[in-house]
Formats: sequence, C-alpha cells, structure tokens
Amino acid sequence: MGYGEKGGKPPFKKFKGSSKSQDDPRKGFVEDDDVYGGDDAYDDDEGKTKDFSKLELKQDHTNRPLWACGNGRIFLETFSPLYKQAYDFLIAIAEPVCRPESMHEYNLTPHSLYAAVSVGLETETVISVLNKLSKTKLPKEMIKFIHDSTANYGKVKLVLKKNRYFIESPFPEVLKTLLKDDTISRARIISENVNGDGFTISKAAGEIEGTHDELLNEAEVAAAAEEKETHSFEIDPSQVENVKQRCLPNALNYPMLEEYDFRNDTVNPDLDMELKPQAQPRPYQEKSLSKMFGNGRARSGIIVLPCGAGKSLVGVSAACRIKKSCLCLATNAVSVDQWAFQFKLWSTIREENICRFTSDSKERFRGNAGVVVTTYNMVAFGGKRSEESEKIIEEIRNREWGLLLMDEVHVVPAHMFRKVISITKSHCKLGLTATLVREDERITDLNFLIGPKLYEANWLDLVKGGFIANVQCAEVWCPMTKEFFAEYLKKENSKKRQALYVMNPNKFRACEFLINYHERARGDKIIVFADNLFALTEYAMKLRKPMIYGATSHVERTKILQAFKTSKDVNTIFLSKVGDNSIDIPEANVIIQISSHAGSRRQEAQRLGRILRAKGKLQDRMAGGKEEYNAFFYSLVSTDTQEMYYSTKRQQFLIDQGYSFKVITSLPPADEGPSLSYYHIEDQLALLGKVLSAGDDAVGLEQLEEDSDEIALHNARRSHGSMSAMSGAKGMVYMEYSTGRNKGQGQMKSKPKDPAKRHFLFKRRYGAP
Amino acid sequence: MVNATKGVFISCDIPMAQYIINMNASFPASDKFIIHVLDSTHMFVQPHVEGMIRSQIAKFREDNTYVKPN
Repeated sequence: MGYGEKGGKPPFKKFKGSSKSQDDPRKGFVEDDDVYGGDDAYDDDEGKTKDFSKLELKQDHTNRPLWACGNGRIFLETFSPLYKQAYDFLIAIAEPVCRPESMHEYNLTPHSLYAAVSVGLETETVISVLNKLSKTKLPKEMIKFIHDSTANYGKVKLVLKKNRYFIESPFPEVLKTLLKDDTISRARIISENVNGDGFTISKAAGEIEGTHDELLNEAEVAAAAEEKETHSFEIDPSQVENVKQRCLPNALNYPMLEEYDFRNDTVNPDLDMELKPQAQPRPYQEKSLSKMFGNGRARSGIIVLPCGAGKSLVGVSAACRIKKSCLCLATNAVSVDQWAFQFKLWSTIREENICRFTSDSKERFRGNAGVVVTTYNMVAFGGKRSEESEKIIEEIRNREWGLLLMDEVHVVPAHMFRKVISITKSHCKLGLTATLVREDERITDLNFLIGPKLYEANWLDLVKGGFIANVQCAEVWCPMTKEFFAEYLKKENSKKRQALYVMNPNKFRACEFLINYHERARGDKIIVFADNLFALTEYAMKLRKPMIYGATSHVERTKILQAFKTSKDVNTIFLSKVGDNSIDIPEANVIIQISSHAGSRRQEAQRLGRILRAKGKLQDRMAGGKEEYNAFFYSLVSTDTQEMYYSTKRQQFLIDQGYSFKVITSLPPADEGPSLSYYHIEDQLALLGKVLSAGDDAVGLEQLEEDSDEIALHNARRSHGSMSAMSGAKGMVYMEYSTGRNKGQGQMKSKPKDPAKRHFLFKRRYGAP
Repeated sequence: MVNATKGVFISCDIPMAQYIINMNASFPASDKFIIHVLDSTHMFVQPHVEGMIRSQIAKFREDNTYVKPN
C-alpha cells in the first residue's frame, strides 16, 4: 500500500486550480472554494460567501495582474508585466499566505493594513491602487473592510523630538477626541506657541519616497505625496506608556505610529559612521530600508529577509542612516561577535565606538555615542550581576538610544521583549528575522511590541536574482524494514518510536548513499542534521565522520569546523540542533536531515538557511555576478510512521515561500547492494537490538536552552544536558536556571522539563508556558 | 484430505503486512483473524474482517498525514 499520493500539500493544487482557469474567472474561484472549505473569518454560511462568480470583470482585465475577492484574499499573477509594482504594493498592504512560482496568494488583515498605514499609505490610496490593479471591480466588502480597518490607523503619531514627546495628527478633530480622555488630557503639556485650537501646526514634507513613488505614479495616484499640515500637542514623557495604552484598539482605537525624527534630534550626540563605499545594498535591501525611512524619519517595525540574504547589512545601514547610538541585540555570544564584525566590515565606525557586552567580554564604551552589541539575556537578566556588568547595564538603561536593533526576533519570548523594551529607552526599534513563524503563535505580539512588518522579501525572487542559493529540496521516502516496523507498532515501544524510525536501516543506507554521491561525484560539502543524539552518534560512528553536539567543547568545535572549511578530507559533518542557528558554515551546500524536531516549521527554514548563502567570493556576491546556485536539501523520512506527519508540517513554511519538495522513493538504488552498510539482515537485527536495549533517556531528543518557544516540546521529554551550556560557554550564565543547574547534572537528567509541572512560584519566574 | 476455508487474500507492502499482523496480535485469541501469513507481503485472513482492516489502515494513514489547517 503505502502512499499513492501525497496528501498534505494543498497549496499547489490550489494554485493550479486558479491559474489554469485564469481565462474563466467564475470557474477559478469556485474551485478555490473547495480547497479552502471553512477556514477564515468570513465564511459563516459555508462557502457560499466564497462564490465570487458574480464579480464583474473589467474590459481590459487581461492587462491587470490581480484578483481581489470579497473575503479579503487577493491573488496575484506573477507572470503579469505589472508583477513587480503590484508585488511591492501588495506586500505593503497584505499578508503573504503562499507564494509559489506563478500565482501568489495574499490576505488582507487588520494588522497588514496597519502596517500599510504606518509606511505612509492612506486608505484612499490603498483602495484606488487596488482597484487599478484588480481584474474585477473591487468587491464592496473589501472596500468596507479596508475602510473599517484603517479608519483610525495612522491618524495619530507619537513623535519624539528633541526629547519631547508630541502627539501629531493631520486631523485636529482627532486630537480633540483624544483629549476628551482623562488620561491623555492629564498627560498633556500646554506650550506657548499655539493657535486657536491650542495645537501647534507645522508642515510635513512628502510622505512617500523612492520606490513607492514609482508605483504610485504608475497608478496615477499622487494624493499621498502632497504637502500637509500637521497639528500636534506635547505630552509628559513619563505618561507616554499610559497614553499609548489608551490609544490601543481596545480603548480609544487610535493606534499610534511611532516615528523618530532623527535629523532634527540635536539632543542626542551624533555618531560618526557611514556605510563604506563597497557596501552596496541590494535592491531588496534598499527597498526594505526605504520602507523604514519613508518620510525622512525612522519607523519602528520588522523586516523579514531569508537567511543568508544579508540581514546584517540592512541593520548596519539603518544604524548608519540614523547615526545615533545604537543598541544591537543578538541571541547568543557567537552572533554578538558576528554583529560586531559586520559593523566593522560595512561601516566606517571607529574601533573604540563599538563594544561587545557578553558574559565573556565586557567592554566599557567611551565617548558619548556608540554601538553596543549584546544578547537579550544580558539585558533582560533580572538577578544579581557582577559589579562590572551592573555598571554597563546602568549605562544602557540611562542612555537614550537612537536605534534598538533586534536580531532573530522570532526566537525571543514575548515577556523577554517586554523586559528589554522597558529597560532600554529607544527612539526607534528595528526587528530582523528570516522566519516570522512560531509554533506557539506568539508572533502577533511582535506587532505591538516592536511594530508592524515593514517589508518581507519574496524568496523565489531573491533566488532568481542570484542573491541566495537556488536550492533543490527533496524528501526521500525510506520504507521501514519489516523488523523495525514490527517493533515500531508495539505499544511497549511507544517511547522508542522516534529512535526506531530514525535508525531505520533503509534510511541509513539512503543517507550513506547520498553522502557518497555528493562527496565523490560532486565534491560537495555536506551537513547532516540529527536531533536525536542516539542516532547522531550511531550514524557518525558508523560512517566515521566528525560530529558536533551540545556537549562538544568550544575547542573541539572550532577544530572540526576549521577542518570542514579547509581540509579536502573532511567533507561531511554531523550536527545536532546546535547547528540550527548559531554555527556559521558558509561552505556547506548540501544538507541531509535524518531526524528533526517534531513539526517545527522554523527549524526547517533555519536549516535550509544554512545553505542559502550564495556561494562564491564576497565581491562576487555583492555584485550579484558569479553565483553558483547549487545547493541540495534532503529530508529523509521513514514512510508509514509519524515522521511523515511531522515532515509535511515542517515543510509548510518553505512551501508557502514557493519551494517545492521533490519526493524521491528509490534511494539507495537497488544495485548498490552490499557496498552500503546494513545490507545483511544480521547487521540490521544487531542494530535493532542496540536501539531496543538503549535506555529511553538515551534515545530522546537533545534539549538546548534555546528551545523556549516550542509547544511541541512541552510534552514531558527527558533532557540531555549540554556541558557547554552548564559551564556557561554559551554566554548564558546570566540565565537564572542555568546557574542553578550547575550543582547536580545527574539530578537534572532525571527531572522532566515539563513546565506545567513547575511549582507556581517558578512558573511566574520563567513565564507561563 | 483436502480442507477448504473461505477467506480473503491480502497483498500489500512489507510495513502494512506488519501492521495487520500487529493488529491481529492485539486481539483476544477468539477474534484473531489471520489464517495464514504466506510471506512478507501476502496473507490469508477471515472474510469478514476486510472492511475493518481497510478502515483501520485508512485511519492509521490519516494519523500520519498532515493537513494544513488553513
């Protein structure tokens, strides 16, 4: 039996449905209905609301690139000549749902419209441009939805000018409404230079610059670029937090945009730094920056770029434009070093103006402006610190930061953000990430903690542009052997299931075959990922390859990585999930994944990110010239097991980015025979015996401290401690729970880490799960 | 002497054969349905269990298949 056809990949079917029938829109949308069956907020009465056959086609619909449906979904034809302009516009106003090659799907949400307003688009602009681009007349529901969602967004701005907080709005009547509120009127500071209404009036220059203008001109909309009057009043800095709260949608519903007028900021000292001339931001990097600095001021928000697409250059460029003190937060000590290096590489910042603050290197900064690179943990740590770091933290607290640069915002738990943001006073916050997904759906918190998503790159466009590697993704189906599957099905082995499907001899053979093929036939550099430590060790020992996992010492890691980078004899390394984020291995171009962390979409994307960095010399990459786009991502899956479920789930994020996974079923080829391991049944049985006799502890997942967000992990799992974390080698000594653990590692191993079982006092301390 | 038994002949892949054998083993002795396991991909079972086996396997496969919620 087995799997005749893969069930879990609807996006492709869906899009075939709508792209095939582009000539007959009526049919196209009806087909979509079937696929969507009952999933979004609009369809109360079963799919009937999704019949858009009555939408009126415009005469010249073939020239227009998109379909707009009454339920907020928008479909974009990527083969349209207007694709680029339409994409820029859509990404600003809507959330991408799925972006395969020839048809993109977007969804209008209140959040996405909030983001649109905050980058300077107005309600009427959004509607008229949408109408221009749409093949059909805009459905009334959509127009109403846009009006409703944006009615109050962006009408009020919170501006920090010369250290005074102003509430600004082009509409005096809105300000009056706000002032009727007690909290806000109490917070107001009456100044002298006022007109009749009591508001200060000033002229604001054109709202939108650069790339936006092009689009808007094309769409013949100029309204947004007009000069406008702004009215403002000042509020008490100590009341800012309360005022902001009153303006949120659940209260007055005038969410405030935060902008930083850094050019007119004469209070905070300037930092002398420029981008070096050889740092040429790529078009998409420029675009993301133009969204952030749209009207000459800096907006807070999140920029989403794939791994290896040059997020750090965006961060450094932003810091160079603002030219004020910058606090850069990274997830661990290794990336702190990398960020410091990137700042020196791309900008003309002087050595003494940049300092790192980690548990190992506490550099004090001199001068009145500078860049400080540190980790989230260092700032958010609530316990006792050493005298030295207490001083530095005090300085961080007291300083007014021009830019708060936050790397990998998707990994940091929301409560940690709140803490960091409350400790540091910053004019502008920029979050960077590759994968704006979390299994616990806390991602929406970021909207309010940092700001709206300013820009999200389309992966496939970057691949086409040669900015990231062109990856062939494949899922290799390995049938379970008879003996392994029999054991897998037994109830008493339920805890060993994972070990059984990972150690499946057919999988091992497929892995060995792929390694041989890529090493010998293509001379590639291969990373093999295994979350399961038992499997990692077994595979690595059997194949005689070096491996790195949590407990590998820093010295050994460096040695192995160095050998991998330089030696011709070391072409394959085995990594546990320590390699997901922190280890930078630009040389690798093949990934083989033999076991993974349940259904984590983020892990899949992060792992793919390890090989996304376009290969070649730095100069080649910058010019976008000589690129080699050959990278391979294999995910080995044992069929008929839970792994199939997880595997499909994990792929969803990448599929939504337009990647397709090729299914390979006949690996290794039958003629390989005894040249690969575990050909003979005796060997297989010996392996099976080994798996079965290993303790439940040994066959579990490795657990690292970074896994704080994954819901999947919250089922009780045995943990395998990592020595380096315990000794503080990972820059984590300031996390309370890691210091507490130093005492008894033996004890810790036997303790389940299930947060639900924690004493309530500790629950509060760690944040509820 | 020739002994004739009516039954259903099942032909499937190796893992599914194991699945059916395991299912059979989980039943009490009176409900066991496998008459003969012929080889690793073929077996002969009681005629009345065909529907049950099909639905069990369908459910098993369902459990291992991820369907995107959205």
